[in-house]
Amino acid sequence: MIGPGIKRGTAELAVLSVLEGGALHGYEMARRIEQQTKGALRFTLAALYPMLYRMEQRGWIRGAWETSSNGRRRRCYRLTPAGRKKLSPLRKEWSELFEALRRLTKVTHA
Amino acid sequence: MRDWQEFVQSKLAGLRLAPGEKAEVIEELAAHLQEAYEKLCGRGMAEELAMQKAMLQVPDWNALQGHIHAAKKREDEMPNRVRQLWFPGFLTLTLSTTLLMILQKQGWQPRIIPSNGLGLMLFYVPWLAVLPLFGALGAYLSLRAGGSTRAMLFSGVFPVLTLVACFFVIVPFSLVIDRSVALHFKIEGFLNVLIGWVLVPGAALLAGALPVQILHPRKVDSYRVSGS
Repeated sequence: MIGPGIKRGTAELAVLSVLEGGALHGYEMARRIEQQTKGALRFTLAALYPMLYRMEQRGWIRGAWETSSNGRRRRCYRLTPAGRKKLSPLRKEWSELFEALRRLTKVTHA
Repeated sequence: MRDWQEFVQSKLAGLRLAPGEKAEVIEELAAHLQEAYEKLCGRGMAEELAMQKAMLQVPDWNALQGHIHAAKKREDEMPNRVRQLWFPGFLTLTLSTTLLMILQKQGWQPRIIPSNGLGLMLFYVPWLAVLPLFGALGAYLSLRAGGSTRAMLFSGVFPVLTLVACFFVIVPFSLVIDRSVALHFKIEGFLNVLIGWVLVPGAALLAGALPVQILHPRKVDSYRVSGS
């Protein structure tokens, strides 16, 4: 299980990545992240929405109300061009960090 | 079955956002809890248990309220500061500097006033005469953007504040580096600059900014309330 510190750092990357596939509302976003990370990353409502609002303020994502086929109103978020631009270096940064940690632990165990 | 909208509304009663924005947050969070609850019920969980489990998504509503407020407002503060402080301040600075340059290019001569023990002081009278207008403009723009009294005054006298900043860099530097001029001449020169380029223009700018602040204090408060 990944600890809370690392989770916080990766949360923005997770949201941006999952939104790359298309617009999603908060609940669906949390469900997909949990599903795609096999439960390693879990977002509760309390953790998810302040982050979404912060990312929206930064201009990385944009929320808009949409009505689903069953008549329910949902606020769906989609990536903005700024968010798309942010995703690539963020991915690289985290990939480098995980690669470095992988190398380090490998050396330590050798 | 619980009315999630009502439940979230009661929990976020103290959320300090504009009414429309707050209603949107409540609707969104209620929809999330509703969906979580329905999914749990759909998996065969008892309604009461599903409700409790959905509510576990928020262990501390007060903390969530604070986090939402911070997330929604934190980024707003910067543009506010730009609109209320930096933009009017830099505009006042640009206008006053440009006017002074134009006057100098047009061949306007400064009024030279000899002062006992302080050497000569230079005053560009037309420039000083227009400065209250710039001070008033800076203060008014800050007021219009919802600036506080301090922000209004700061914006109004911004040009001389930059000079004060330069002054405090140049004085110690000059005292240490330039040893070719006697100390008492240097001090006289600095006092001349201080009076002629900081105190007198500052008073002129303030003469324009203060009336704006005095005439519109209530308006400032109402802007601040609506912005909070």
